[in-house]
Amino acid sequence: MNEPVLAVRQLCKHIKGRSIVDHVSFEIGEGEIVGFLGPNGAGKTTTIRMLVDLIKPTSGKVVICGHHVAKEPEKALRYVGCIVENPEMYSFMSGWQNLEHFAQMLDHADEARIREVTEIVQLEDRIHDKVKTYSLGMRQRLGIAQALLGRPKLLILDEPTNGLDPKGIKELRSFIRQLASDGLSLLISSHLLSEVQMLCDRVIIIDQGKVIASGKIDELIKQAAGHVHWVLGSRDAGVKLLSSDNRIKVLAGTESADDACGPIVTAMREELIPETVRRLVEHGIPVHAVHRAETTLEEMFLAMTERDTIA
Amino acid sequence: MSEMTNRKIGIALAAGSLLATAFMIAGLCFVAIDMAAPAAAEQKPEETGNAADAGSLVPYREAEEIRLLALGDSLTKGTGDATGQGYVRRVADGLSKRYNKPVKLLGNLAINGMTAQELAERLERDEGYQYAVKGANLIVFSIGGNDLFLSAYASLNGRELNEAAIDELAGDLDEALERFKRVVERLNALNPNASVVYMGLYNPFFELEELRGASAKLQDWNRAAYSELFRHPQMLMVPTFDLFEFRVLDYLSSDHFHPNEAGYERIAERMLDSL
Amino acid sequence: MLKLFALTQNEIVKLWLKKRFYVIILILLIIIPIFTYAEHKLAQTNAEHFPDWRNRILQQIADIENTLASDRIPEEWKRGRRIAVQQLQYYLDHDINPSEPSGVQFTREFLGNSVTLFIPMLVLAIGSDIVSGERTGGTIKMLLTRPVKRWKVLLSKLLALALYVSLTIAATVILCYLISGFVFGYGGWSAPVLAGFKIEGSSVDSASVYAVPQWRFLLMQAGLSWYSAMTVAALGLMTSVLLRSTAASMVSMMAAVIAGSILSSMSSAWTTAKYLFSVNLNLSGYLVGTPPPIEGMTLPFSACVLAVWGAAAIGVAFRVFTKGDILN
Repeated sequence: MNEPVLAVRQLCKHIKGRSIVDHVSFEIGEGEIVGFLGPNGAGKTTTIRMLVDLIKPTSGKVVICGHHVAKEPEKALRYVGCIVENPEMYSFMSGWQNLEHFAQMLDHADEARIREVTEIVQLEDRIHDKVKTYSLGMRQRLGIAQALLGRPKLLILDEPTNGLDPKGIKELRSFIRQLASDGLSLLISSHLLSEVQMLCDRVIIIDQGKVIASGKIDELIKQAAGHVHWVLGSRDAGVKLLSSDNRIKVLAGTESADDACGPIVTAMREELIPETVRRLVEHGIPVHAVHRAETTLEEMFLAMTERDTIA
Repeated sequence: MSEMTNRKIGIALAAGSLLATAFMIAGLCFVAIDMAAPAAAEQKPEETGNAADAGSLVPYREAEEIRLLALGDSLTKGTGDATGQGYVRRVADGLSKRYNKPVKLLGNLAINGMTAQELAERLERDEGYQYAVKGANLIVFSIGGNDLFLSAYASLNGRELNEAAIDELAGDLDEALERFKRVVERLNALNPNASVVYMGLYNPFFELEELRGASAKLQDWNRAAYSELFRHPQMLMVPTFDLFEFRVLDYLSSDHFHPNEAGYERIAERMLDSL
Repeated sequence: MLKLFALTQNEIVKLWLKKRFYVIILILLIIIPIFTYAEHKLAQTNAEHFPDWRNRILQQIADIENTLASDRIPEEWKRGRRIAVQQLQYYLDHDINPSEPSGVQFTREFLGNSVTLFIPMLVLAIGSDIVSGERTGGTIKMLLTRPVKRWKVLLSKLLALALYVSLTIAATVILCYLISGFVFGYGGWSAPVLAGFKIEGSSVDSASVYAVPQWRFLLMQAGLSWYSAMTVAALGLMTSVLLRSTAASMVSMMAAVIAGSILSSMSSAWTTAKYLFSVNLNLSGYLVGTPPPIEGMTLPFSACVLAVWGAAAIGVAFRVFTKGDILN
């Protein structure tokens, strides 16, 4: 088996006594595109910063291509290109000067390579203009050019579609696919879940500093409880009956009857549907419609991370 | 592309700043060398003895410009004159009007509280003083007041002045005269061509009845001083004694010791009359 | 090693492209002519009243002595003036004009007067955002995720700062000479300057006084100014690492420098103040024999105090920079 490009093992970070990241572990193999999901404050950014040595872990370790990041950052970081949050570059320099600046910090990035990455991100026309004149999309592309300078094996992009217009997002998406097809591994954090769903082979979902799910998207969706929508004759009695079964979880539709118009949404396994219908009928509650909804990653994500607020 | 790349800018700047740093460090090395071996004083400055002799052989009346030098104590300094001119500047202005030629005040080297002893020492030792004296063709000075009044004036601040203090004052007279003589001899030796004007002493305590006796003692000083000065034909004494007797309040400043503007004006007039 | 050179080059280029040095040149181009004009006026007045410098020195001595005779002047002030009188007297005795107006002489005076406040200000103008600027701009995340050890990044910044300190002092000297030389003439390189006055209490020991040509004196003065400015740069680097905000680091450093110059001019009776760095900045003052702000201070003492402060600042800066988490 190939050595993973990135291996995160039991990573923890405490800041001022608070646990921000709690025993996070995952791996990324060669050529994989992995989505890194979590609501705001889940510990995503802290984790990413620990991957690239901006923050020292309290315990646990990050290994990139066999090198321990905290112990030999200058070796491990050679294989990483990253944009942490915004692609902030020196605005008083031109794009070219910025690239030269970062190339100087690497071992094998000469002028030819700078020209090459400029072409990859299609910035040839504006590369000699000052960065302060760039649009957000151009800055994003310059950031990626910078990240690619050292021919990394792993590219870490934090919220890459932030602030991009739909056209920019589309371009970025095809660009990322192309990078991955060249054998690059990518870790993409995003709150735009549809983006991740469309791009990534695999996702890691974290909440409150813990990994709550990870795996191939299709498998995750299959595993997850499906959503069943009920349209019932007697709404209140229906909700009461449905929630009395502890195998069924009522997600929506518990509002008072007056303003209720939509269906009652429940999370439950499919094989429970016939039995539940029978019970409803036995209790004299008319069943107008039963609809099994296709689960999207978004719904699954919400279901997972908002568990506490609903229960 | 005409744009300067980072590398070119960087190399030019690095070279320039390294050169500058080398200079700075060289400077520090010089400091270290000098501190380690203070005897690096191979360049010990020599006592030059101020060979430069600007001495004027021409008397001030015939000279192209009057080179005035003022020496002495607070009276020459002009203490008490709110305008700061004292008699020295007034004399300088008056002379320039009278002779219609420039008057160069080489300096007013008077120092408050100077005694005859100190002035004599400076004239003997201080090459700067000697240089200045040699360069002048007219010298005005006042001295002796502090020798005579120092103890008396000090006690005035504390307690009432009395007859005993005046006797004390008289006791110092002989010694003070001895020093005055040194001053006069020294001035003559340094520059026999310059005209010298000495401002005689006056009694600032005339209106105090118990101190009126001091006037007689001061007159003794003035007489004795004159007997030193008259030996040298270029030296002159201008009496101020009489100015301050009847009109002592008009001419003294608020410290009841130094003249005020009007007092200095009168002293200057006196001097100008004689020059 | 090669990497460190490349990193330092990066930092030099950034400081250059931020146009900080242009600002410094501009400030110098404005300030030097003003002082040249003031000095020119002064020289004119002097020449008018005292065609012979010796008489001017004599008058100066007499004026100082008159203030010494006054009881209103505090004893500490008198100490400095007594020393000044003795030094002027020494110049007079050796027939050396202490302020023969020339481009070099003006440069020497300007440098001597700017070492406690003006040059530290210029150094802070360059250096106080050298780290905090990267933080506020967010570029520190780019900088520290490169395969380079953090101490190397900070060392490259320190080296770049040191080189700019040299450039700043060199620019001050060169511009001073060029501008003032236009008025006072470009000569004066070999004019003698007396150095090595030893001050004990309120008297001057002139046994170790020696004459140096003015060019050598100027070089020594520049070296000492560089040394003080380097200490300020090291402290500036530390505050820049410790404080997020550039304004805060600039203001706190300026406050320290100004407090020091006020303390020195007060001739403070608080003798422990001599261990503060900003009281010790005027190193070249010891060369010409300016009385130290606090009794007992000497050139080696001040040099040591500055070295300790500088080393401590660099130590703290490196410790915090290499260990700290980048959270924002």
